[in-house]
Amino acid sequence: MNLTVDQVDVLQELVNIGVGRAAGVLNEMIGSPICLRIPYIKVLSPQELQPDLEIRFNGDILSTVGLSFSGSFAGTAELIFPTESASTLVEVLTGETAGTPDLDSVKIGTLLEVGNIVLNGIMGSLSNVLAQHLEYSLPTYVEGRIDKLVNSKQLDAKASVFLAHTRFIIEQLQIAGDIVVIFKVGSFDAMLKAIDLAFEGDNERDPGSPERVWHS
Amino acid sequence: MALILIVEDAALIRKMLQKILKAEGHTILEAQNGLQGLQMIRTHNPECIVLDLLMPEMGGRQVLMAMREEGLQIPTIVVTADVQQTTRAECLELGALTVLNKIPKPDELRHWVKKAIGVATQEGIYEPNS
Repeated sequence: MNLTVDQVDVLQELVNIGVGRAAGVLNEMIGSPICLRIPYIKVLSPQELQPDLEIRFNGDILSTVGLSFSGSFAGTAELIFPTESASTLVEVLTGETAGTPDLDSVKIGTLLEVGNIVLNGIMGSLSNVLAQHLEYSLPTYVEGRIDKLVNSKQLDAKASVFLAHTRFIIEQLQIAGDIVVIFKVGSFDAMLKAIDLAFEGDNERDPGSPERVWHS
Repeated sequence: MALILIVEDAALIRKMLQKILKAEGHTILEAQNGLQGLQMIRTHNPECIVLDLLMPEMGGRQVLMAMREEGLQIPTIVVTADVQQTTRAECLELGALTVLNKIPKPDELRHWVKKAIGVATQEGIYEPNS
């Protein structure tokens, strides 16, 4: 599936809006500025997805919270941190230090909720702009390299996926994280239709800025 | 001061909500999912409920539906990460007093709890940007 320049432009802006909302929420939670990179979007096969993400994540051990959604369009949104960044974030939020014996359970529980809030921010924005209601499943936590994450999604080998990826950096805390949204393409067609409906006759769009910063 | 039930699966959020409400002098009960929450509603009859939506065992929507079916008219503040307008409308339709997005600002939560327990009207209407 090839996207037109206009479709790429709208999708990039939609992801920008959603990620912006998510960054605003994260900023309120931790009180530090969040720097966002311009989103990358691509349509690819599940076989291409893993090597694509491996290049992006450089073989790191990752802590990932996934939020599956269904409705007019379906897929999964992932909040991904190198595990070290995840620990730092949890320490900031809970006041727990790395030496606390039960950090793992605290870490996972806290990360799940952070992921839930941040990913709802991005998906809820998409839902509101496109006037399409989504149903969410309980968030899930996966720790490991990117192949473990991709395998856990059990994507249909014949289907295509739409990948949207944005990196965010919290310089004060030396935390880097990523938001990845994977749409199943059957439902991606439905999303493109919803976009056409929502933006019918709208030819003037804000191109957005390459980098934005959220301050508390 | 009031007896308030917080129904929320995430410990971090329970702690944050509890801290805000305890500082106001309220007595707090906690439930970690909708099923436990519904049982506590029946047995403790709280004056206000702060309710999450997406939880294991039983979600917040099901709690609202069960309360409606059983005629339990307790002011309920939904606190959710779900920012969809459709979700907000659905919760209000199911009888929620209001829907706040996570993480609610302390002033916002205090205002709605006061409103829920019947004292907010004496103190004016909350303005989110004030």
